[in-house]
Amino acid sequence: MSIPKIVAAGLEKRYRSARGVDTLAVTGIDLTINAGEFVCLVGPSGCGKTTLIQMMCGFEHPTAGRLLIDGAPVPGPNPDHIMIFQDYGLFPWRTVLGNVEFGLESQGMAKAEARVRAQETLELVGLCPAAHKHPHEISSGMRQRVAIARALAVEPSLLFMDEPFGAIDAFTRLRLQDEILRLWEVKRTTVVFVTHDLDEAIALAQRVILMASSPGRVQRIVDIDLTYPRDRTHADFTEYRRVLFEEFH
Amino acid sequence: MLQRGGLMLQRLGHRCLPVLSLVAFGGVWQLIAYFYSPALFPGPDATLAALIEVAANGSLWTNIWISLARFFTGYVLALLIAIPLGLLLGCLGFLQRLVDPLIQVLRPISPIAWSPLAVLWFGIGNAPAIYIIYLACFFPILLTTINAVKSIPSVYLKVARNFGAGSVTTVVRVIVPAAFPGIMVGLHIAVGTGWIHLVAGEMLGAQSGLGYMIVDARNFLRTDLIMAGMLVIGVLGLAIYRSIRALETLIGRHWGLGG
Repeated sequence: MSIPKIVAAGLEKRYRSARGVDTLAVTGIDLTINAGEFVCLVGPSGCGKTTLIQMMCGFEHPTAGRLLIDGAPVPGPNPDHIMIFQDYGLFPWRTVLGNVEFGLESQGMAKAEARVRAQETLELVGLCPAAHKHPHEISSGMRQRVAIARALAVEPSLLFMDEPFGAIDAFTRLRLQDEILRLWEVKRTTVVFVTHDLDEAIALAQRVILMASSPGRVQRIVDIDLTYPRDRTHADFTEYRRVLFEEFH
Repeated sequence: MLQRGGLMLQRLGHRCLPVLSLVAFGGVWQLIAYFYSPALFPGPDATLAALIEVAANGSLWTNIWISLARFFTGYVLALLIAIPLGLLLGCLGFLQRLVDPLIQVLRPISPIAWSPLAVLWFGIGNAPAIYIIYLACFFPILLTTINAVKSIPSVYLKVARNFGAGSVTTVVRVIVPAAFPGIMVGLHIAVGTGWIHLVAGEMLGAQSGLGYMIVDARNFLRTDLIMAGMLVIGVLGLAIYRSIRALETLIGRHWGLGG
């Protein structure tokens, strides 16, 4: 029934420093992520979760093993697989609308059509009133929603999020988590979400992939059998928190 | 009410401070001039008289006009060549490493050192002066452009790659606007260095311009006219710098960079 979207087998990434010393960022990653699935990569810093997502998005290349998306290797970044960064990557010289249009224009969409599509996407994330503001005029939570709108506008089949809410205050963060879930339920995009926040992972993911460091590897995969929307104060939620927490001890 | 009055006084003080320093400067200048012969060290009164003299006979305005034309020709020529070259070198790391030694050797050579060659190559008149100004503007613009491109946050380029932007789109819609504030710094510096080298350029056998006005005044031992020329160069330099800054703010606002 479920169609594999991302398949990693024996995936490994080594970096060579300027002095010629090899470091193993991740090793022996065996993983299947299904189409339409919401998966969180969780682990302490240095566990290679960013390296892993960078390889999936095509910004980095594995040094060993296989990585297939839709059955094909990943030669490089692809507009069908959009990455959302912690520092948003918004262009300060463009308005909110202009930033959303950028992705569409980059793919050669006509200006007028891009404008219509960008406006529709801004409506979806509730940012129409800010369409003509520049990124420095809006809050960090709104900035990240602009980045999300820019990604969704090009209708990717796969969304990578690298600690997207890491620089956002706790209250806004909760709202953005609900927001991303709502969007995911509308679009059914496959989402790979990197975080070091266990609560965030339990609130969002169908499956949490726990990673361990030195060398970076998958330690355990936990299915989160809770229905959406999830109650962060429910006993089951706290039970998952306990399970994940104990993995790090 | 009292506080408001104090604030207004403070604001007035801010406005008046620069004027105050100018008045003080004029006073000290006049005082020193009192002890020397006017032929050696003319005071502000003599300088002003000389200024009125050249303004009345019209030679001042012709010289200002010619100097400004030369300056902007050299400046625009420099930015037209240095900005695209800087963008190219900033984007292509291997090319930059290739020509970097050449730039580093040419850059410390004062544009004035080029003057004998400039006369030899371009004769006398407009061309050598423009060439000297061009040289003075070229390297600041080139180096700041290269630097601006190289310090573009990598996330911008990643976003462009991710959305499948082609190289033309990436350069025009990401690299140029992202590097723009940095390039603007170069344009600032170039206004300064270019204007400074105006006099030097116009001393190369030119028969007109503010530089020539000073050389000509020296030949006739008109120290008051020399000072008048220096004063005009200073004030015009300030005016050009201010207008570039105003232009920058205007464009910056359009670019959404605040300010």
